[in-house]
Amino acid sequence: MSITLIRDISDTSSYWGASWVFGCFPDVHIVCDAPIGCYNLLGMAVTDYTDALPHMANLTPTSIREEDVINGTAKALIRTIDDLRTMGMLAGKRLLVVSTAESEMISADHAQLVAQIDPEARFFWSQSLEQDEWTGRERALLFAWEQYGKPFVPADVQPRPRTVNIIGPSLGCFNAPSDLYELKRLITGIGAEINLVYPYEGSIATTPKLAEAAVNVVMYREFGQGLAEALGRPYLFAPFGVFGTTAFLRELGQLLGIEPAQVEAFIAHEKRTTLQPVWDLWRGPQSDWFATVDCAIVAARSYADGLRSFLGDELGMKIAWVSGRPRREDEPDNIEIRKRLHAKAPAFVFGSINEKIYLAEANARGTHYIPATFPGPVVRRTTGTPFMGYAGAANLMQELVNRFYETVINFLPVETVTPAAGGPPKPSGAETMPWTKEATDRLNAALDAVPYLARISASRSLRAAAEQAARARGLKEVTLEIIEAAIAQGAAS
Amino acid sequence: MAEIIPLTPAGAEAPAEPFRGGACKLHPQTMCPAFGALRVLTRIEGAQPAMVTDTGCLYGLTFVTHFYAARKSIVAPALGTAELSSGKVQEAANAAIAEAATAANTSFIPVISLCVAETAGLAEELLPKEVDGKPVILVRVPAYAIHSHPEAKDVALAAVMRRFVDTSGEHEPGTLALIGEVFPADPLLIDGVLRKMGGRVVTTLPGRHVDEIKQAGRAAAVAALHPFYRETIGVLRERGVAVVSGAPIGAEGSAAWLRAIGAALDLDEDVVERVAAEEEAAARGFLASKPLQGATILVSGYEGNEMLYARLLIEGGARVPYVSTSIGPSALTAADEAWLKAHGTEAVIYRKTLEDDQAAMARWSFDLVIGTTTLAAYAKEKGIPSVYYTNILSVRPLFLAGGMVASLSFVRDLLNRKPIYDRMLAFFEGDEGREANR
Repeated sequence: MSITLIRDISDTSSYWGASWVFGCFPDVHIVCDAPIGCYNLLGMAVTDYTDALPHMANLTPTSIREEDVINGTAKALIRTIDDLRTMGMLAGKRLLVVSTAESEMISADHAQLVAQIDPEARFFWSQSLEQDEWTGRERALLFAWEQYGKPFVPADVQPRPRTVNIIGPSLGCFNAPSDLYELKRLITGIGAEINLVYPYEGSIATTPKLAEAAVNVVMYREFGQGLAEALGRPYLFAPFGVFGTTAFLRELGQLLGIEPAQVEAFIAHEKRTTLQPVWDLWRGPQSDWFATVDCAIVAARSYADGLRSFLGDELGMKIAWVSGRPRREDEPDNIEIRKRLHAKAPAFVFGSINEKIYLAEANARGTHYIPATFPGPVVRRTTGTPFMGYAGAANLMQELVNRFYETVINFLPVETVTPAAGGPPKPSGAETMPWTKEATDRLNAALDAVPYLARISASRSLRAAAEQAARARGLKEVTLEIIEAAIAQGAAS
Repeated sequence: MAEIIPLTPAGAEAPAEPFRGGACKLHPQTMCPAFGALRVLTRIEGAQPAMVTDTGCLYGLTFVTHFYAARKSIVAPALGTAELSSGKVQEAANAAIAEAATAANTSFIPVISLCVAETAGLAEELLPKEVDGKPVILVRVPAYAIHSHPEAKDVALAAVMRRFVDTSGEHEPGTLALIGEVFPADPLLIDGVLRKMGGRVVTTLPGRHVDEIKQAGRAAAVAALHPFYRETIGVLRERGVAVVSGAPIGAEGSAAWLRAIGAALDLDEDVVERVAAEEEAAARGFLASKPLQGATILVSGYEGNEMLYARLLIEGGARVPYVSTSIGPSALTAADEAWLKAHGTEAVIYRKTLEDDQAAMARWSFDLVIGTTTLAAYAKEKGIPSVYYTNILSVRPLFLAGGMVASLSFVRDLLNRKPIYDRMLAFFEGDEGREANR
């Protein structure tokens, strides 16, 4: 067995994926059988940067300690559940215990224990040592349906005409609020009705309602299809691009038995409203640029396929390469992506923070990086930045054109107020150089003027620039004059 | 300076039983402990970390490392059931080390061994000592055994220090190494004062260069500015470097610290006394205005240096009945805890949980909460001005008279922000907000 190497992993484990699905339900409380790190990273740190949630309020760890690694985690689990009950945190909630890589490592299977403690509670074996987040999300959706949905569906249930479920949007899904908003707008636009958005707007209690929709729209290619198949109704995937979206609307209308004239009326109206900027930009000189630039796409499978189809097939942009998640065998992994970006960076790179770092390593300042997937901290909680649907096509085109404009203006000559001398400052030596009191005071005053979040790096670069200048002049300490000069040269910016 | 608007009437709360923390301890407040090690190691130039762990751990830790520590690519082996159950952990670690060594700019390879690798058992003696002349350094930081991320910073720094510290040269008289991640201007402030006493700062760790670590071994003394670098200062102590605990915090603390440094560096006593008195006088001059008088403040961070900050607030006139931190108690924390207890702090909680902090919020009423993200959110939901401790602490000087003025002025400004917290709360959760949610 050979060892596979990973660089800066793109997909997390099934524990994360499943918890991001279950965590959407307001009537569930998750206990993760985890050391404090697995709890903190998921529940407090990362979800704040993917979903802008201060923390996941319905997640509690067993806080596995050394003794639990040796003796098993049952005692820790019982104590955690008892404490949650004491604090009233389980009132009106279903308890769900989820395993993690570490608890699986020590074979802490608590299916029976959890059933003994509370017959209504469930244990989810996340298989985090083998499965990625997409499989974890898929299995969590199916688990919720099988445990909380299917058994409670009346035998004679019939789908309500013209109703649609949207399956998939959950925590940790890049840009989900905007895409969901657009999907709802499109679906209701042709005269259909949203039955349930699952799991984003669902709950344990509403899970049986999944059976009531006539058609399911699976938001992502990377997970959710399994639940749609289990529901046994026709399903479609969420669309991208002008033509992709048009085909989707016609097919959805057909599946729901909506008059084609009604669907066509909506499409016609969209052409003159949502899509008008696409037509205007296409007719304008801006679209000519699309033939002249290339792009690379690193994103989850829906976005990877959707961007390739819209930018490449519909707009005629050159697609240098694509790497979707989960990754196919013939797509570059991060080791290869890094090599390619170092060797030659395309004009546009859609990706995660990993690609952004690789571009920075190569000092590829001419490339525009556009966030299109996690990992990476980015707030996408508004409804105004869709990638999917008609609004997504218009938004993407607008975004790209604005980046073109930026490139153009950055190339125009400019004469700065103070010309940079001697290039950027080099890092100071290992030894701390003395500063006069006046110089230190001046540094602090200058830093006060720097925006809050930029202060650390500003203080570092100012300090380095001043010390370098002092050394260059053979001075033994940084004086007021030296720091003034460094400030004037804009070392803080 | 504007008046502080909200004041908690002194002594308004009835005396009660001693505070015992939260009834249940469900949500520990610390970053993943291993992050502390990554924070220290990824920031060193030439370090190419190899992480040995499962994919979920790798995702979470690289995510926060790339945002909070360094934009550095991290290598790891894929480690699943197949590898773990067939005893391939060693082989996997070696494969990652080999990959890490390939880059031309790699100068050493920290191997960061995490929960599942530690559970499976990673043997140090089976790892290479170096690859192509690039040292390989094993750093074991399983979250289940380390408990807080500040303490993992110590584990990591001690590991690299054991390997790199200069053990050949003489100690340079009058030189001081600082230990603790401090605001970059702080070492300058300290160095400025030290030079007046005839000493100087040679380096501040953790830093960006291996040379800085080497240099620490040649210092005459080391100052553990943050109270959790126990292993690190142990390495230096073995090397014959004198250790000074505590930090130059506030008026009392700065003067006492300068005297301790003077003694450790064997500086002229009269000069030291004069400089210490000057520093104290400068600080007392500012404190005379009692900038925080009347304010009750909660301090709850997970950086391990919360007690320093609390001391400063108390000297500024604030009442700080409760301080909590993620680290455990030790000889390095004892002096600060004793000082706080002697100055009105009723509870100092180590290895705290969210429930401890929430119990403190129920016990006392606060004008300002300087807390973890979760606690700060909880306080904002109650309309209490609150800020994330780490953000606040890391963006301005803290030490000596200069740092004190910068930090206390900022806290005073925060106290005046109460109306905007109230307005937001009234809108989202007040009658108007509840109307909308109905």
